[in-house]
Amino acid sequence: MFGYVTANSEKLNEEQERYYRACYCGLCRTLGKEHGAKSRITLNYDMTFLVLVLSSVYNIKVVEKGQERCIAHPLSKHDYWYNNITKYAGDMNILLTYFNFLDDWKDDKSLISLAEAKVYKKEFNQVSKKYPEKSEYIKGKLKELSIMEKKGIMNPDMPGNSFGDILGEVFAFKDDENIDNLREFGKALGKFIYILDAVLDFKDDLKKERYNPMIRTPSNIHKDILNILMGDCTQKYESLNIKKDKELIENILYSGVWIKYKIKKAKEKESDNERSL
Amino acid sequence: MRDPYEVLGVAKNASDEEISKAYRKLAKKYHPDLNNGDANSTKRMSEINNAYETIKNGTPYEQGYYAGYNRNNSFSDFEAVKRYISVGQYIQALNILGSINNKTSQWYYYSSVANAGVGNRITALNHAQTAVNMDPYNQEYKRILNVLQNGGRTYQQRSQSFGGLEDIGTMCVRFALLNMFCCWCC
Repeated sequence: MFGYVTANSEKLNEEQERYYRACYCGLCRTLGKEHGAKSRITLNYDMTFLVLVLSSVYNIKVVEKGQERCIAHPLSKHDYWYNNITKYAGDMNILLTYFNFLDDWKDDKSLISLAEAKVYKKEFNQVSKKYPEKSEYIKGKLKELSIMEKKGIMNPDMPGNSFGDILGEVFAFKDDENIDNLREFGKALGKFIYILDAVLDFKDDLKKERYNPMIRTPSNIHKDILNILMGDCTQKYESLNIKKDKELIENILYSGVWIKYKIKKAKEKESDNERSL
Repeated sequence: MRDPYEVLGVAKNASDEEISKAYRKLAKKYHPDLNNGDANSTKRMSEINNAYETIKNGTPYEQGYYAGYNRNNSFSDFEAVKRYISVGQYIQALNILGSINNKTSQWYYYSSVANAGVGNRITALNHAQTAVNMDPYNQEYKRILNVLQNGGRTYQQRSQSFGGLEDIGTMCVRFALLNMFCCWCC
């Protein structure tokens, strides 16, 4: 995954920020405990969002929290919290990461990716056995994506929908009355993530002659499209009836998801200014 | 219209991969975003796009619907499309649209509605825009374009009330720090 689904910490109060970081740290800790220290490096904030949303929908409270030191910050203690959703999100992280490494290997023939994938194989097999249907489904969708990329499909809806299906499956936590709403929400968010990634890489991909589904779409409507996709996603979000951690979740959906976009645009502007000087 | 294979500079029997490669090479050279919107390269790019699409047409993925045999549209085709749309059978509507060769503004309008129905929001937006460009005085085309854009506008307004992320300079640094803080923590 890409790490786009993150909070805008400027707009969080101190307590929210601490709670949010502690959720991430809890996920990181769980990953380490369940799947070994090496699995931690693959973590980003996307799966933290999954923990927040599912914990809210199923109204699952923090089951354990604490403070500890870690490798990155051995001098100061910091908070963490987790519950049974955290474990699920950690498993999903392993699933997506493994496929991602394999994909990089196919794309760039990079030995590092293959080596990483091999290191992960044991963890992956373990998670795959636990969620055989999810694993097969995601594998099938990634295959679909790689065929589309190979064919050079220029209609962004097509790969966007396939990628959306993957995140939909990840959000479909368990088979009950929430599953359809969660899946639809995950799908819409996944599509936004995929298109956002394509928009951000658009110029680079053009220069490097790589596949990018947004090449055919005029760049002056890229932002409108992203807004429409998030409009769709937040509409689906409303049907989840979120109460717990609503402010934090909405901070992410309405503001945080734009951070990388804004940073990239600011950088582009800067380099344009330099060139014109 | 020039021969599309000639435009892309590939042989008639070129593989999918060769065609994509040739297209990307030309896109690098002529894409308006890499040429400061220069009018000549924009014109050239549009020719390249058309050639690419003409060759690729018929691939079901490409259009978001299943292209059948080609024929000219008749009154009854659009009647059937309309009927399918009115009962929410968008895939069937797209199937018929895919078999229509002559793409009028009406075709783009119905395609927009049906694509929106199956969740292809980007195609829906593009086709609604095309319909409006072809027939700027048609109120119905304008209305559908407006409906499609509206979801984005409502979101954007709310988004602004959450903080517009305007002061990106300091933001950037703080965000980087936040990421670093947690990237190794356990």
